[in-house]
Amino acid sequence: MDSLRLGSYTFSSRLILGTGKFSSTSAMIEAVRASGAQLVTVALRRFNREQAEDDLFGPLSQIEGLTLMPNTSGAATASEAIKAAHISRELSGSPFIKVEIHPNPHHLMPDPIETWEACKILAAEGFLVMPYIPADPVLAKRLEEVGCSSVMPLGSAIGSGQGLANSEMIRLIIRESKIPVIVDAGLRSPSEACAAMEMGCDAVLVNSAVAVARDPAAMASAFAKAVEAGFEARNAGLMARSGAAVATSPLTSFLGAAS
Amino acid sequence: MPTIAITLNGERREIPAGATVSELLVIAEADRQPVAVVVNENIVRPEERPSRVLQAGDQVEVLVFAGGG
Repeated sequence: MDSLRLGSYTFSSRLILGTGKFSSTSAMIEAVRASGAQLVTVALRRFNREQAEDDLFGPLSQIEGLTLMPNTSGAATASEAIKAAHISRELSGSPFIKVEIHPNPHHLMPDPIETWEACKILAAEGFLVMPYIPADPVLAKRLEEVGCSSVMPLGSAIGSGQGLANSEMIRLIIRESKIPVIVDAGLRSPSEACAAMEMGCDAVLVNSAVAVARDPAAMASAFAKAVEAGFEARNAGLMARSGAAVATSPLTSFLGAAS
Repeated sequence: MPTIAITLNGERREIPAGATVSELLVIAEADRQPVAVVVNENIVRPEERPSRVLQAGDQVEVLVFAGGG
């Protein structure tokens, strides 16, 4: 299977896993292992002595071959996101940053203007910038031009489980993009992840669907298989759609001829 | 022992006058895992922490990674 290339990094897994909303750190770690993900997102939080178990750096660093992609969640402006990126790089040692700027906690839709501004500056500083964006092909192209390592259009609202609500716009992004396109947010089921890969996405980022499953590790494994299946199917070449039935068995009517 | 007041993660806190960032991390029990430290909007790297003396009124943020998507 071809590798996913992001900057100078290559990953054999095309499933990126978020680490939020799990019932426990151990459930999260089990899901990361089961997913085979090599890139996982984390978020900056204030240290709290009473919640020392919330610190994921230690547990995640036990997993071999894992790269951290901190996000800038909580940032409502470009300058806040840039500040979060600098602090995150200090702590993670990773050049990856998921730029996530959403000023409205009700819909969590990314602010395209602040996102573009932050990405331009962070890419110039040498970060591998992975912006979470509305499914807008014009914005995606502008982000490619300022040096982003990928674009991550949302399938649907964060945590909504509404699936690939923006699939036609994502198709346009894929068609125009020279950098990897990763569907991020809104996926509920492995079949949706598979569909995203079949349509031409380079990877899929999933969090809630795995974290809130009754068995997160099993769901992580199911997503991993779906992503692989979709990628393999796309490379194998999907058949063309036809408006009419096309027989798969010979229509030689020998039964009629024998009567 | 004379003390000074700083703000740690948004809360006022009295610490010994002359305390360094490293000493603050011990006092706050934040010295057992990797943390990022920001003093007055400036990142203080691990190698700078033993010599960085805190001043009255400093705004200190101590940050870790938690779960996030």
